[in-house]
Amino acid sequence: MQVFLQTIVGGVSLGAVYALVALGFSLVYRTMGLVNFAHGNVVTVGAYLASTFYLSTKLPFALAMVIAIALTGAIGLVIERVLRPLENRDFDLMLIGTIGFGIVLDALIIMIWGATGRAVPSPVPSAPLDLFGLRIRTYDLVVLAIAAVATVLLVLFLSRTKRGAAMQAVAMDHEAATAVGIHVGHSNAVAFMIGGGLAALAGGLVGPLLYVSPALGGALGIKGFAAAILGGFGSIPGAIVGGLAIGILDSFTAGHFQGYSELVTFLVFTVIIMVRPTGVFGERTVNRA
Amino acid sequence: MLRRRAAAISVLAVLSAAFATGCSAPGADQESSGDNSGPIKIALVDAQSGQLSSLGAWELKGARLAIDEWNAAGGIDGRQIQLGVFDDQGDPTVGTNLARKIDSEGYIAMIGTAESAVTIAMAPILKQAQIPNITSGQSPGLVAVGSEFLFLNGPTSTTYDETLARHVVDDQGVRSIAMISNNGGYGKGEHDAFLKALRSRGVTPVADQVVTTDQKDFSAALTGIRQKNPKVIFLGAEEVESGLIVKQARDLGITATFVGAAPQGTPVFIDTAGARNAEGTIVSSPYLSNEINDASKKFAAAYRKKFNEEAELHGAKAYDGTQILLTALKTSNVATGKDLAEAIRATRYQGLLGAFAFDKTGVGIFETSIGTIQSGKLVAAS
Amino acid sequence: MRSRLALIALIAVAAWLLPYGLDSYAIHVVNVILIFAILATGLGLAMGIAGQVNLAQVAFFGVGAYVTAILTTRAGLGFWVSALLAVAATVAIGLVVGTPALRVQSHYLGIVTLGLALAFTNWVTNAEITGGAEGISAIPVPVLPGVDLSSEYLYYYLELIVLALALGFGLFVVRTGLGRRMRAMRDDSLAAGSLGAEVPLLRMTAFLLASVYGGVGGVLYAGLIRYVAPESFGIANMFLLLAMVIIGGRQSLIGCVVGAVSLALVREALVDHPTIAQVAYGTVVVLVVVFAPTGLAGLPARARVLRQRRRGRQGAAPRLGPFTPYEPTAAPPDQATTMLRVAEVTMRFRGLKALDRVSLTVDRGEIRGVVGPNGSGKTTLFNVISGLYRPTGGRVEFRGRDMTGSTPYRLARAGMSRTFQNLRLFGDLTVEENVLVALDRSRTLSSWRYLLGPVGILRRDRELHRQARAVLDRYGLADFAGLPPKSLPYGIQRRVEIARAVAAAPSLLLLDEPAAGLNGEEVRQLSDIVRAIRDSGVTVIVIEHNMGLVMSLCERITVLAGGRVIAEGEPAQVARTPAVIEAYLGDSMSSDDLPSVPEVTR
Repeated sequence: MQVFLQTIVGGVSLGAVYALVALGFSLVYRTMGLVNFAHGNVVTVGAYLASTFYLSTKLPFALAMVIAIALTGAIGLVIERVLRPLENRDFDLMLIGTIGFGIVLDALIIMIWGATGRAVPSPVPSAPLDLFGLRIRTYDLVVLAIAAVATVLLVLFLSRTKRGAAMQAVAMDHEAATAVGIHVGHSNAVAFMIGGGLAALAGGLVGPLLYVSPALGGALGIKGFAAAILGGFGSIPGAIVGGLAIGILDSFTAGHFQGYSELVTFLVFTVIIMVRPTGVFGERTVNRA
Repeated sequence: MLRRRAAAISVLAVLSAAFATGCSAPGADQESSGDNSGPIKIALVDAQSGQLSSLGAWELKGARLAIDEWNAAGGIDGRQIQLGVFDDQGDPTVGTNLARKIDSEGYIAMIGTAESAVTIAMAPILKQAQIPNITSGQSPGLVAVGSEFLFLNGPTSTTYDETLARHVVDDQGVRSIAMISNNGGYGKGEHDAFLKALRSRGVTPVADQVVTTDQKDFSAALTGIRQKNPKVIFLGAEEVESGLIVKQARDLGITATFVGAAPQGTPVFIDTAGARNAEGTIVSSPYLSNEINDASKKFAAAYRKKFNEEAELHGAKAYDGTQILLTALKTSNVATGKDLAEAIRATRYQGLLGAFAFDKTGVGIFETSIGTIQSGKLVAAS
Repeated sequence: MRSRLALIALIAVAAWLLPYGLDSYAIHVVNVILIFAILATGLGLAMGIAGQVNLAQVAFFGVGAYVTAILTTRAGLGFWVSALLAVAATVAIGLVVGTPALRVQSHYLGIVTLGLALAFTNWVTNAEITGGAEGISAIPVPVLPGVDLSSEYLYYYLELIVLALALGFGLFVVRTGLGRRMRAMRDDSLAAGSLGAEVPLLRMTAFLLASVYGGVGGVLYAGLIRYVAPESFGIANMFLLLAMVIIGGRQSLIGCVVGAVSLALVREALVDHPTIAQVAYGTVVVLVVVFAPTGLAGLPARARVLRQRRRGRQGAAPRLGPFTPYEPTAAPPDQATTMLRVAEVTMRFRGLKALDRVSLTVDRGEIRGVVGPNGSGKTTLFNVISGLYRPTGGRVEFRGRDMTGSTPYRLARAGMSRTFQNLRLFGDLTVEENVLVALDRSRTLSSWRYLLGPVGILRRDRELHRQARAVLDRYGLADFAGLPPKSLPYGIQRRVEIARAVAAAPSLLLLDEPAAGLNGEEVRQLSDIVRAIRDSGVTVIVIEHNMGLVMSLCERITVLAGGRVIAEGEPAQVARTPAVIEAYLGDSMSSDDLPSVPEVTR
């Protein structure tokens, strides 16, 4: 029982990070129907930026995060701007374009920060909580709280602000949105910018939990993407549920199948997708032929 | 009709071209023998990019230091030594390409790689090309290759873990031991070697957890270990992953002592785990620190002067390996191929890691020392 | 033609002589490049030709290599026996990996195949039989009587021949029926299905082909390197392969080979600076997708277009010819006079009732009009009849047989054909190829003939081309045969779609708003064409907003409103029905049929 609960705690902690990554994927996807395969690499950039400001310039962790979020938001804008000619034209080509960006970012990371990586000390140094033998790291709680706040802010932005409402409209029907005078390009750019920011949020938060290296975002990106799809691609609650589900699934397969955990995780994922391609919360456009 | 005629012509053209070149197989007349003038060409193959590139960078520094010392002293037989650096990217396939490349470019010996899997991939080609190779790998699989051209510049995992088991089980009398290792080449080798050492002492580990090389969350494995309440936990993983495991283990309230081989003594491990969490970790290593003896102090000083950083195990190993190679070249009057391999085998060398004397399997050193991490630094165990 | 053959001959000679100029390392590099070229060709077939996002190509490669390694070293089998079994095993794995393609497409398929590729690397890293992370070494040299394959120079010729065969076979597939159907499916899987292309089978075929090429590449790799380890089959190499295919031009197999060779050469040139190489090829991928989506292979065509534009068009502009009516045929004596019976069909989308117990019967030889205000469910009805939607309730009988919920391609093969409200022509196929897809009724399952009876396939394809010419001539489209449909005026595209639908030789033709966007003259021609099609023995159902056309063309009209049939009868009679007048007066001019539910999805 204790192993079971502790495994869930471990899964939820990484699951919250997966959820943040999945949010970035979903937000861009629902707005412009594009899967941003460079997202994982932007997560790595975010992790490096945050840790660089935190470690070398000795900025407070929160401030370092804010700067990192702003910078990766700018990277998002650049990607969107370069690929804009393909928008609403060729979905698969644009997807491959983002893979190209991912390859470039990956190499740039190695050029700037080297190939080896760095350890980031936890900004919340207090000892783990002990709940009837169940150990919960305080930093995990911080990550969960920030993920929750970010989700709430995102939902509020989408439902309460003019720009957010415009993005919702574009997500539903970009032709109709254009017809009523919404600038689709702006919405896409904002989506990419927020997506980039979310990547840095995830990367920055995961830094002290793990180890910042060029390979960091690859693994997080694939799991985060799987999470977004599992929850229902494009759905905000889906990203959260999917993220936690993948985190817990990962944690349990690691416990039960040890070395073979990745094999089992992806097989389970494949089966779920085949049974329910639209994910838990469903997606608007799914192939049915 | 036209099409058919054109096709016939093209076939004819191909055939006649093949005939014109005399039907001989291409590439038959390429054998270049080692000439006796100009610089002596030695290749260093290691990961200079990718995740393992830190090892590659350290190795390069160690080898460079040794070669520069010899060149400054006039080289061998009046010939300078030239070091060609090749990047295997940690990929065995690239390694096999490079093995052919150094052969075709006339290198007479090779230093590296730090990755056993890459070296194993390259070994058959180097054997065929008769190029002696001093590797920094430590997997027992290197010995299993059975190439008379392959030498190790350090002990194998078997030695590391036998020493460790002797210290933990025989000297300290601990029998409640858990293991956690990854399924990568290094982790698997460590797992098997340590398990064998335990078995020979009649000890069965209370837990034996295997994780993947890119796993991030170890709560399931560690909680399983925690329930068994072991006194000692053996780590069979590279620096970063070991660090993560120790960090998460301490967060879960595990107070057991961690033990491991070379990676657990590195600053990367200590940084990732956090100095407080890594405190007391027991390490089996052939090169505990730069302050062990005069030779290591001298080496460390030269290293610091040249590269402006602290020397460590991998640099020391590559330095020893390169010294042995150069010594053999000198005693054999720059022999190549089989003769050079025999010269290396015959070389007796007192190095930073200890006294080298190679046996038939290409292993030259059979001892490591035990150290512990105290206040964030690896020191010799008292 | 002659210059192209000369070029091929020149390349063949150059390839044959190449080893004479290379040292032992260079030939090794070339050998590795050739393997990548084979892999890229396979990936091009799956991704570029069939549109299946396959990120598991590198795993197919791995399966081929590993099975060869295991069988030769562990089971002691001979190399060539192992090689055959390895390719067979790869195909089996390929079919497993391809199964998700039956349910999901595009990025979904991408992540699933990528996940399965990762699962493969994870398995080989762990399993005892694969040697774990250290891999398997000492794979024996393949033995060929009289040829020493341990020499990399002679191995080169083995690879060269395999590559030539693989590329030749790939091109043969692409340029004949099977490849055409796959390309049609890539451009528009719904339209392809409605023309009788067995979409699920074609997708599996795509994965089958990709896995064969992957397996062959793997076997050659095992024989060349004689060592396998997990790292060689990881994501980095997958993305490299992908970049090769994109840069070379995914829709052209030759492009894939060119991409593989050029990217591998650039990487080799930058071998001491792999990070710079990575930046370079990533950048090139981005630039290619934005500025040259057809890759290197598309450059000659683009240059040609540019040159033509600069010079101004030469020769006569293509012109639309007149339509030649069919020979009227007397209705064949058939067992039933009812062509289609829709009984009590209900279609619900998440609580929204798009069709509410709709019934209608269409007799053989009839032209039936289906009209109704926007959002009344007309297109939904068509989608149910043609099998795109499975109705929530009710039955659809076609030629006396219950076909409720049957797949579009089965219905198409049973004799149903349709056009779409917003044109679904295959954009990257020529007009002639669009018609060819419809004409070709050969089954995907009979594709084994590609191996055993290629001459028959070629002969049949020539016959199909003759028929396609006849169809295009009849519809006055001969001038446009070689053009991509998107370059044509809207009215002509409409006519191409009708010609394509009729080329499938249907007994029931469904036309969804065929007059939308046509001018008066074009509407008149359309009316003649539809009547002639009916006179040739085809039953026609037409959805139309142009009431003039409906009134003059149709014998009977069914009126839908709010998902129900509110009137049915002869045109004049229906027009007087009060419910119809009310429904039309209440209709505001909105733009789409059912905006909240996409008509058909990509």
